[in-house]
Amino acid sequence: MREFEIDELIVEVGSEKSPIFANLSKALPGVPVTFVDQPQPGADTLSDLKDPFGTSKKRLHLLRHRGDFLKKCPGSDGQVCCNYFVINFASNCPMECSYCYLQEYLAHNPALKVFSNVDDLLSEADELLSRHRKFFFRIGTGEITDSLALDPHIGFSNQVIPFFAEQPNVLLELKTKSDRVENLLKLDPKGRVVVSWSMNPQRVIDRDEHMTASLDERLSAALRCQQAGYKLGFHFDPIIEYPGWEADYRDMVERIFATVDQRRVAWLSMGVLRNTPGLKRIMRERFPSTRLLTGEQVLCPDGKMRYFQPLRVEMYRKMLRWIRAASPTVFVYLCMESKEVWEEVFGFAPSCEKELGRQLTQTADERPRTGDR
Amino acid sequence: MGENHFRDLLDWLEEIALRDGSSPSRILKQETLSRVLSDPRLGRSDKVKCLKEEVRRLRFPRLSRIEREIEKKIRDLKLKPQIQMSIPPGLEGGTLTVQMRATSYDELKRLVGDIEQTLAGDKVKEIFGLLSGKEGDAGV
Repeated sequence: MREFEIDELIVEVGSEKSPIFANLSKALPGVPVTFVDQPQPGADTLSDLKDPFGTSKKRLHLLRHRGDFLKKCPGSDGQVCCNYFVINFASNCPMECSYCYLQEYLAHNPALKVFSNVDDLLSEADELLSRHRKFFFRIGTGEITDSLALDPHIGFSNQVIPFFAEQPNVLLELKTKSDRVENLLKLDPKGRVVVSWSMNPQRVIDRDEHMTASLDERLSAALRCQQAGYKLGFHFDPIIEYPGWEADYRDMVERIFATVDQRRVAWLSMGVLRNTPGLKRIMRERFPSTRLLTGEQVLCPDGKMRYFQPLRVEMYRKMLRWIRAASPTVFVYLCMESKEVWEEVFGFAPSCEKELGRQLTQTADERPRTGDR
Repeated sequence: MGENHFRDLLDWLEEIALRDGSSPSRILKQETLSRVLSDPRLGRSDKVKCLKEEVRRLRFPRLSRIEREIEKKIRDLKLKPQIQMSIPPGLEGGTLTVQMRATSYDELKRLVGDIEQTLAGDKVKEIFGLLSGKEGDAGV
């Protein structure tokens, strides 16, 4: 996997006392550091750049986060949700996936940021988990960033995994497209951490997941994490339809289950390519030759575009067949899909987000159960 | 043509061009489209409407094929004018909507009887098969 190029470090005064700054200084010794009182440039200072979103990825801001770290995953209007919570320890991502929704979501706030006050993050998590010991939480860190891409530079996992490993009522999910798992291998997750990979065939990675780890690298990292005691997750998201997609995806599924122990796979999700009309326009501008925008996508009631329903149902059914052939028992669920699509693919739909959330936590905590009947 | 329609048309032409390795101008010269553009029987707004439909068919070939198949099956049911069946835009939701208009209880009863007779055949099942992405029908 290629190294990310960080050209400048912009540090809010006060954040230089944090462990993250110490890690960054060690990992990026030649990178110039600027200390500032106001850490982040407004969008207007970037507006004269040709590609503010892409350019932002080379300047890393270290600053305190003001506000809540922990929130409920926003999901999507009217779709079946899984009761997930998210911790935003960073914003934006050094990778360049052409379909990434952050291009739209962070268009007016594209600065690549890491938050230095991890102690506050852990206090907030501690308060939530202690107050609701009877509830089992699934918390992820990859909503508006990649959970591990910068970990060798910032060492975030070193601070959070020991905390979450001691909590009885949580599963922490670190979702990534990188192979940056070195720090994790030295820590004991005690069954409380799932490391998951967004997966796509190498052909898709080459065309549309720039600066990410190759399929081989992701699988190798997954195996190392499994051997170090971590549970694994795989997210086939976005699934992309193109001539030859079936052979590629089937091969990818087979390779995954030939590499890892299926009993260590906590969950597996599927979701087809999604974008909004606004994101489409951005993709067209930033990645004019991407073929992702040539699929037969229609606008769905939640405002997102997806392949038309019979097409994506057929895609999901095929994926499920290949998954089941490789692993009869791994828990499979759909991400951001309607009740109707769930019923067509699995023959049922979860009655509410709590039911799906409960099934997911049960599978990761005991012997895996099936999501389909 | 309204701005949204125009934007749709341009987007679709660009996307077809990217998909097929062509150009918007070459696509517009295709027979099905140039026939619409040069048809003297069509007024300007009809021409625009037909052009957009044809471009949509090129842009969404499988979706259009399934929609046409469903519409044909609905026509083949030869329903009375008081009964209408329709499908959602883009087939999203997978629903078939049946509307009946009746001015009396007896008329409604007759229409319901007609629907029951229609359901006895296979065509409505086939429509739901197409809506639900039965294997092979989406052409994947």
